[in-house]
Amino acid sequence: MNGLKGVAAVIGVGESDYVGDHARVRAGEKPHDSNGYAAVAFKRAIEDAGISRDDIDGLIVGPTVAYERIGEVLGINPTWGGQQDAMLAVIEACMAIKSGLATCVALVYGNDQRSAAVQYGGPEAMGGNMFLSYVYHAPWGFTSQGSLYAMMFRRFSELTGCTERHLGEVAVAQRLAASLNPGALMRKPITLDDYMASPYICAPLHLFDYCLINDGGVALIVCEAEKAKRIAAKKPVAIHGVGRFDLNRGATSLEPRLLDFYRPAQEACAKQVYDMAGVGPEDMDAVQIYDSFSCHIPFALEGYGYCRSGDVGRFMAEEGIALGRKLPVNTGGGHLSHSYMQGWNHQVEAVRQVRGECGARQVEDCRFVHYNSDVAGKAVSIIYGV
Amino acid sequence: MSAYRKPLPTDDPLMAPFWQNAKARRLSVQSCRDCGDKHFPPGPVCPKCLSEDQEWEPVSGRAALVSWVRFHRAYWDGFVGEVPYDVCLVALEEGPLLVSNFSGPVPDDPKAGTPLEVVFEDVTDTVALPKFRIVA
Repeated sequence: MNGLKGVAAVIGVGESDYVGDHARVRAGEKPHDSNGYAAVAFKRAIEDAGISRDDIDGLIVGPTVAYERIGEVLGINPTWGGQQDAMLAVIEACMAIKSGLATCVALVYGNDQRSAAVQYGGPEAMGGNMFLSYVYHAPWGFTSQGSLYAMMFRRFSELTGCTERHLGEVAVAQRLAASLNPGALMRKPITLDDYMASPYICAPLHLFDYCLINDGGVALIVCEAEKAKRIAAKKPVAIHGVGRFDLNRGATSLEPRLLDFYRPAQEACAKQVYDMAGVGPEDMDAVQIYDSFSCHIPFALEGYGYCRSGDVGRFMAEEGIALGRKLPVNTGGGHLSHSYMQGWNHQVEAVRQVRGECGARQVEDCRFVHYNSDVAGKAVSIIYGV
Repeated sequence: MSAYRKPLPTDDPLMAPFWQNAKARRLSVQSCRDCGDKHFPPGPVCPKCLSEDQEWEPVSGRAALVSWVRFHRAYWDGFVGEVPYDVCLVALEEGPLLVSNFSGPVPDDPKAGTPLEVVFEDVTDTVALPKFRIVA
């Protein structure tokens, strides 16, 4: 299935000033609301692409901002528009381009979750009315996002022997990457001993297993492949393949999480994305994985074929997921140490790695970068490359 | 018992029979009269065959541990005094999974497969929470 192979390319990326804005928010200021962060990122993305706003005929916004208002703020009257999370925004842009409904799509996200004190657990948990498992179990005190992943990791650990210390490889590797990324929020390197000594939030997960909560905005410009070559200032980064498979059955009682670790969804998604792209895990120079919690990484490494099933603890410890080791994962620091932009900053990092723009954290001769996520049972995958 | 400060079940009409049964010391799951599928939580139609002909059927109360976590942070005011506290996920003998709490003594590191049985704790005049006791 060729599907969306090579249909579109990323020609521009932009992010808000995570570090400066975080300092201002922590000092009690409110640099922007979600729309403001989105606008900053959009302006940087079109500047990076070397195009004008009027080259854009599609607009897809993230779930934290209102579609019509962002179109109004940015002055965009598109031929195709919508609202999606990061990974599905990229896929929808490719679909719109493939079908001729748009040629150059701006993907725009802004989130003032830190300054607005958005909650991811408890009585005001974000999204609780849509994802029943977030709040359904409240009478037993089970409500936070992190607790869902803690429950998964306990069982995974018992079944596979991937220990807490093995899991610590994720936080340590991503902090090393962040220490080499001037745009990252948490840049002080940590050791496995620091990790093990860090407090539990919901055991078996430690503080360092949890993502940051910060304000910011991200934008990408996805353009039809031939047009991209004509209008972009930099070499376009191709979208070679996409994949998706969802596990919804039994979601509230946690069956796909706890009994399968979403593995069937990841395997189906992996087959689709690898077949479409014509490359496999052995061809990837770096991997970006949605990491609201660290344990997304071992689940994905097994699910997408980067190591044998049941072997990920040893793989992470002995072969390594840090920069300079076997398989660099979340090379900008990810949600744990760079910025929590709900998958959006991972797309930017993938593009910049393929472009070779990453300075001290650049993966040498980086030709292909694989992004994947499993958020609430949606396994989604994208392969970027030269 | 008006001082109970932890979250109570949401006012969900589909779940009303579950809580009525729990108050009467019966653990139950929704069961399809057409295909026999037992599932929890309930839905307006059977998730296996889409039949609307469903009933609530008592289950044995026997279960096996799937996983558990220990909260060191309280996301609800009512749990502040209890951290660290445990939450478990159990597989009922009849199949469905249930989130719950342990009741009674728990070893340091309970393993998956540990046999459990349901007990009910009255928390208000109308609500009894099913919890699970480790079977010696």
